[in-house]
Amino acid sequence: MILQCVGLTKSYRMGSQEVHALRGVDLEVPEGSFMSIMGPSGSGKSTLMNLIGCLDRPTSGNLFVRGSDVSRLSADQLARVRNREIGFVFQQFNLLASLTAIENVELPLIYARVPARERRERAKLALERVGLSNRADHRPAELSGGQQQRVAIARALVNDPAIILADEPTGALDTKTGREVMSIFQELHSQGRTIILVTHDPEVARHAERIVHIRDGKVERIEEVVAA
Amino acid sequence: MSLVETVRSASRALRSNMLRTVLSILGIVIGVGSVIALVSVGLGAQRQVTERITTLGTELININPVASRGFGSRISQASNVFTLSLAEEILANSPSLAHVVPLQQTNGLLIYDGANLQATVVGVTPQYADVMRYQPLIGRFIRQRDLDELEAVVVLGAEVAVELFGETLPIGERVIISAGGRRVPMLVVGVMEPRGQVFLSNFDDQVYVPITTLLSRVLGTRTVGSFVASAHSAEQAYDAVQQIQHFLTRKLGSSNRFRVSSQQSLLDTLTSTLGTFTVMLGSIAGISLLVGGIGIMNIMLVSVTERTREIGIRKALGARKADLLAQFLAEAIVLSVIGGLLGVGLGWAGSLAVQHYADMPTAVSPSAVLVALTFSAGVGVIFGVYPASRAARLDPVVALRHE
Repeated sequence: MILQCVGLTKSYRMGSQEVHALRGVDLEVPEGSFMSIMGPSGSGKSTLMNLIGCLDRPTSGNLFVRGSDVSRLSADQLARVRNREIGFVFQQFNLLASLTAIENVELPLIYARVPARERRERAKLALERVGLSNRADHRPAELSGGQQQRVAIARALVNDPAIILADEPTGALDTKTGREVMSIFQELHSQGRTIILVTHDPEVARHAERIVHIRDGKVERIEEVVAA
Repeated sequence: MSLVETVRSASRALRSNMLRTVLSILGIVIGVGSVIALVSVGLGAQRQVTERITTLGTELININPVASRGFGSRISQASNVFTLSLAEEILANSPSLAHVVPLQQTNGLLIYDGANLQATVVGVTPQYADVMRYQPLIGRFIRQRDLDELEAVVVLGAEVAVELFGETLPIGERVIISAGGRRVPMLVVGVMEPRGQVFLSNFDDQVYVPITTLLSRVLGTRTVGSFVASAHSAEQAYDAVQQIQHFLTRKLGSSNRFRVSSQQSLLDTLTSTLGTFTVMLGSIAGISLLVGGIGIMNIMLVSVTERTREIGIRKALGARKADLLAQFLAEAIVLSVIGGLLGVGLGWAGSLAVQHYADMPTAVSPSAVLVALTFSAGVGVIFGVYPASRAARLDPVVALRHE
């Protein structure tokens, strides 16, 4: 298993009230799988995504990434896990406006302390893989939405992470561009990447092999997608 | 990320909001600028004083009578014992002294060819030229024979010569000196080199006559105004002061009737006074540097809030606390160092402007520049740490949600 959740819970204090966002999630993600996480808003799907992305720590339970428990790590240790094992793709692309495309792709390598020359090489390769080598020196504002998301995917890939974690990656794109972005995920999956896609759109979710339905902080059911 | 890269990326972040960057460093620019400019004024004054006193010679010693209390209408000054022979006695009893020159001066009117000019008439001995390191430009200075023979000769200060004679060569001409109610015609034998203002007296608007001539033919007195002595070397000045004090106390019966002061002690006093003054000026300017630092902190805090989402993204991509701390600290330091450099330029320009327009001497010292730059970098660190640590401590989940 590349990722494993065992009895994950997460509670917040909202004023005097205790909110149980996750109430014990067990989930196994095999290496090379493509999985969607679906659920209505307030279901705990975002909380689960934050935990899987190592952005947050569970209240109880354990999370294993490549076999090692990350649920009790310090903030800096979690930063290291995010850097090495997780490639984020966000709905709003989340590129830094002041940096060029290739510099955005280089960011994870900077925090991995990769030397400058190697960084540039690897970022170039990643941009090539999403078909954007000719836009390397453009700033995000000079790129279309679809191109920006492809830069973001290149950034997620560049550190060769265990998991690509995409949060509504087509949410800010039109249907056609969304489809193009999804085909990149399909292609990455076919190359053996592990992909977790968080969405509320059933159409998008169906690109995966399995759909995990979350409701009231628990896994409601796991649906196997039958190829059309 | 290497140091160079950190600095480069910090500079780029700062360039992306140029107006704000410029406004935020203004405080530091003005702070550093005023430190440099004000300290340069203080140091300039210090240097000028030192130079002038050193030109006179730090081996110089002034001996002055002190007014003492008398009774009724009787002369109540020690000056009645300051005579030409006392000068010789002082020299004979102070082995560290090379010369003792008795001085007497009076205000007089110089008349030549229908024109006249107010000038200070100074009675001197030939040694005066050596003691003051002051030589005639043309002609000659007072000689021992002039003193012995009570010759009516005069040597003119540079300005006096120009004002009274203009283009005419004064040597060999006769001027009438009117002082103390008498008019004495005197032969001009020399014109001194220009010397300028040294403290209260301007050498150039004085004229020099043999002291014996001044005492007996003009003033009709036997006492002199003061003595100026010179030690064999600057190092012996202190010993010489002791010897003079010892001798005069014994001779006059009291140490309250005269005052001995060396140029060296005057120099020390003035230098330390001006040093204090310089430090004070610098400190006042330093306060504006502090205010500039607060300005930087203010802008950095705004910047951290504005870039919360960027911080979230960087954290998601694996930036650790130290990475973000370094990033924002680098920005604060780059801001303040650029401000510091611009401030050095401004201060330098200001100091040149003061020199040029206010005609005051200034001296930009490398140490003041170094201190101001270090200080401004320090301001960057001190006022950058808090905003940077706020950025470093942000929760990535919260930061990513920030709009």
